[in-house]
Amino acid sequence: MKKRFLQPAAIALSLATVSLLSAANAGAWTLKEAAQPYSGTTIKAIFLDRPGYKAAQKLIPQFEKETGINVKWEVIPYENTREKEVLNFVGGGDQDVVLVDVVWIGEFASNKWLVPIKTFTDNPKLADPKLNLPGFFPILLDSFGSWDKVTYGLPFDNYSGLMFYNKCMLKDAGFNEPPKTWDELLNTYAPKLTQASKNQFAFALQSRRGETQSADSFMRVLWPNGGSLLDAKFKSNLMSPQSQAGLEYRQKLMKYMPPGIVDFDHAEAVNALAQGQVAMITEWSAFYPTLTDPAKSKIGNCLAITTEPKGPAGLKPALGGFSLAVNAKSNAKKQAAAWLFIQWITSEEMAKPYLEAGGVPARTAVYQDKAVQDKYPFVKPMVESWQGGVPDYRPRFPEWPAVSEVIGEWGTKIMLGQVSVKDGAQTIGSKTEEILNKAGYYSGKKPLLK
Amino acid sequence: MLNSTARPGNGMTPARPRSRVRLPGSAAFWFLIPAIFTLAAIGIYPLLLALYNSFHQYKLADLASGTPFIWFDNYIATLSDPSFWGALGRTALFLCVTLPIEVALGLFAALMLHRTTLPWMRAIARVSLVIPMATTYAVVGLIGRLIFNRQFGVANYIGGLVGMPPQDWLADPTLAFVSVMIMDIWQWTPFCALILLAGLTMVPKEAEEAARLETPRWSKILWHLQRPYLLPGLTAILILRSADMLKMFDAVFTMTRGGPGTATEFISVYIQRVGFRLFDQGMASAQAILLLILTIVLSRLYIRFVYREAA
Repeated sequence: MKKRFLQPAAIALSLATVSLLSAANAGAWTLKEAAQPYSGTTIKAIFLDRPGYKAAQKLIPQFEKETGINVKWEVIPYENTREKEVLNFVGGGDQDVVLVDVVWIGEFASNKWLVPIKTFTDNPKLADPKLNLPGFFPILLDSFGSWDKVTYGLPFDNYSGLMFYNKCMLKDAGFNEPPKTWDELLNTYAPKLTQASKNQFAFALQSRRGETQSADSFMRVLWPNGGSLLDAKFKSNLMSPQSQAGLEYRQKLMKYMPPGIVDFDHAEAVNALAQGQVAMITEWSAFYPTLTDPAKSKIGNCLAITTEPKGPAGLKPALGGFSLAVNAKSNAKKQAAAWLFIQWITSEEMAKPYLEAGGVPARTAVYQDKAVQDKYPFVKPMVESWQGGVPDYRPRFPEWPAVSEVIGEWGTKIMLGQVSVKDGAQTIGSKTEEILNKAGYYSGKKPLLK
Repeated sequence: MLNSTARPGNGMTPARPRSRVRLPGSAAFWFLIPAIFTLAAIGIYPLLLALYNSFHQYKLADLASGTPFIWFDNYIATLSDPSFWGALGRTALFLCVTLPIEVALGLFAALMLHRTTLPWMRAIARVSLVIPMATTYAVVGLIGRLIFNRQFGVANYIGGLVGMPPQDWLADPTLAFVSVMIMDIWQWTPFCALILLAGLTMVPKEAEEAARLETPRWSKILWHLQRPYLLPGLTAILILRSADMLKMFDAVFTMTRGGPGTATEFISVYIQRVGFRLFDQGMASAQAILLLILTIVLSRLYIRFVYREAA
């Protein structure tokens, strides 16, 4: 009898002890302890030559000191990043932390090159109890890190299209505030701010062939006018009156841009504003540190920032950025170490240091801080843009790079006047449909995911 | 004449060629093995792999759909692709315009260096001629971007000195093509000059002095005396530069990325796009094989029509 009583009591006691211990453990999760089995592991990442990555480079020694995990990175140009990563996946390279552009997530995820984060978040030894996924801006976590309802990456280098402008130039031309609509920019502001003989222009829209042409230039004029690349059935929507209006608008605005705009990449557009050649640009929020760096920019206190102008369809700013994910081809040890790094660099705790080092974190909490809002004038318009942005600003399916090549070629030809807007749009539309047809979207082989 | 200098003179018994030194068979085999192995690893194997890929569907970013054997589909698709022909046409135009300019300027420089009476000047010139050739292609492209920048480029600055309005070198389709040409001419004219200068130094001094006494016209000396010595070098220039221009990629990619539009999308830039942006390795391999065939045909033509004259 005694034995009968004691047995369940012992079990209950041990269960209580275990739960108490695990509760204590959960509360006491530390990065240092979590990383202890991986101390001495080296993980490799690919970085870009942009402010967000320089910020991470400044913070990495702190991670290395705390965890004993070594983080090595290679800085390569954006245009070669996807090539390098795909070859890495296919050829079995040694990259552990994968940099995923918003438009690569479909390709990388559907090829099973990334580890879903659930693998790590379900592991109490690796998951930081303070991970707080809802603390990311939903649009960023969904667009940059997720594909087909599965999350693979955490948003790391986050951009929204913003309007950077020279308020002194605007004031000299008689404007006390920036244009609120694209129409106002073209018809009211642009003529007064352009003096071609003095090499001064109202606006610069980076349009160099490549992703800059397709993402920054072409798509930027479609959405605000109510147009889009594809309709709901993935057929071209470029011949719709709204899309045509957007593309025609760009041709009209070119009169007020510096000559040679089709060769302007981000660096040239930012530099044109920094050196006082143009009064306004629409660029990624990540260029704020460049424009405020006195070594690179003359604009000084004349710099002001607001949301991109609204079109007939409202505020539809450009959306772009990168998440960090774990390479499915890496070994388990490196995967765990890579996850700990990704979790740490994108954490709520690191959001402020990352911001102060020049990065743009995706955590909502950090931007609620009044001091942060006052110190970084890009915060308010950026948050507003992320709240009203288009998640599929560019389709994220695996075929985007091929479509982007087509837009890069024909979009530039349209701007140069080598083909008319109608003919160019028709060609882009038919070539895009050809690509999507081959991929199997129209036969039902592939779901209409973008 | 060239051949006669190579012959052993005056009926003397030629020294026994080194190749006749008896080596045990296995030793010769082992001496050759590293070269054969290296050639096979870096030349033959990739070529055979490209040939194999060209007959298969081989999309790196979509390996899930398999790599079936598809006969000549990649070749047919390539040959019926207007973009491929467009890129090939631009490359041919580039070759036909740039190569003669490089050879002509190279010949001019070689003749100047050959005639100079100041040996130290020739030594300096020879060293400085090597610098452009030693510059990495990608860096040449980046230098080109700076030189032809509309705002602060040297090209517009110099143009401004002679009253030329600023030009959109890299944003205008024709000027972008010209800019790439200028950079290629800058980098490779010295190569032509050095090869041709080597040919000129082969001309026996006595013969050249005699010719100068015979006629004061340099063109006659060039045509009748120096030309035969220049032809082997010229053939080498034509073969090497043609192959280089057909596979020219780095400088163009960094300078214009093939743009604006398709103005500087040469065949290699196009193949790179297919192979490493679209990751269609099968199609890109077919295009590369076609390019290889074209290079071989061109080389045979040069040897047949230019080098034969030297023989």
